[in-house]
Amino acid sequence: MSNRRARVSRITEDEMNDLILKLQALLPDSSSMVSASKIVKETCNYLKKLHKEVDDLSERLSQLLASGAITSTDADAIRTLLRQ
Amino acid sequence: MKIAKNSHTNPTSIKTRFALRFLRAIDNLNNNNNISPPLNSADRRKRFRAIRTAAYASMASAVGPNKAWSRAMLRKIRNRTKEMIKPRTRRGAVRGSTNPRNELGLGQEKELRELVPGGEAMDFRRLLNETGHYIQCLRAQVQVMRKILHYSST
Repeated sequence: MSNRRARVSRITEDEMNDLILKLQALLPDSSSMVSASKIVKETCNYLKKLHKEVDDLSERLSQLLASGAITSTDADAIRTLLRQ
Repeated sequence: MKIAKNSHTNPTSIKTRFALRFLRAIDNLNNNNNISPPLNSADRRKRFRAIRTAAYASMASAVGPNKAWSRAMLRKIRNRTKEMIKPRTRRGAVRGSTNPRNELGLGQEKELRELVPGGEAMDFRRLLNETGHYIQCLRAQVQVMRKILHYSST
């Protein structure tokens, strides 16, 4: 991506719409969104939701770790299962 | 195990790459904490943070250096670790020299930039692209973490 600054970086409306639509396709329940700013807003909400899920899952995994429920042998078993 | 060339876009491969790294990280945490389970809240919080950081680091590492968000994520984690070892007295964040044009003219764009790693310095086109990829990886990360939780608690 050389000379990025040399090129005019103003995004065209078509390009913007195209990228926003791609983003919309990734969001759950996105059929009712019609404006770019609404889609960006919903994207932010979705990202916050995903971050929170990672927090929750990390908390639960950490409790399992503390109780000794996850051992090295379990990890190997999980690795094998995931490979299938 | 064959790793696909476009592994950062192939969902199955990214899950496997993430899972293997994350499980390795959990193994390391297990081995480093062979003492009795921590009972005070400070230790519990530390453990939670370690797992969460391991999750994000494993995903960023699985994605590799071809995405700005994964590079920014790994940089942030590395810098945070350095800060923990040698705490600095001045804790101001370093701002990038470029101030990207506010394309939508509204607050949402600013918030999006704050939610996507490395988002502050990207132009809007790149921000939207990186966001899409970041969302797909976060979803994969959540799915794998759920699976590990499921397997470990039965």
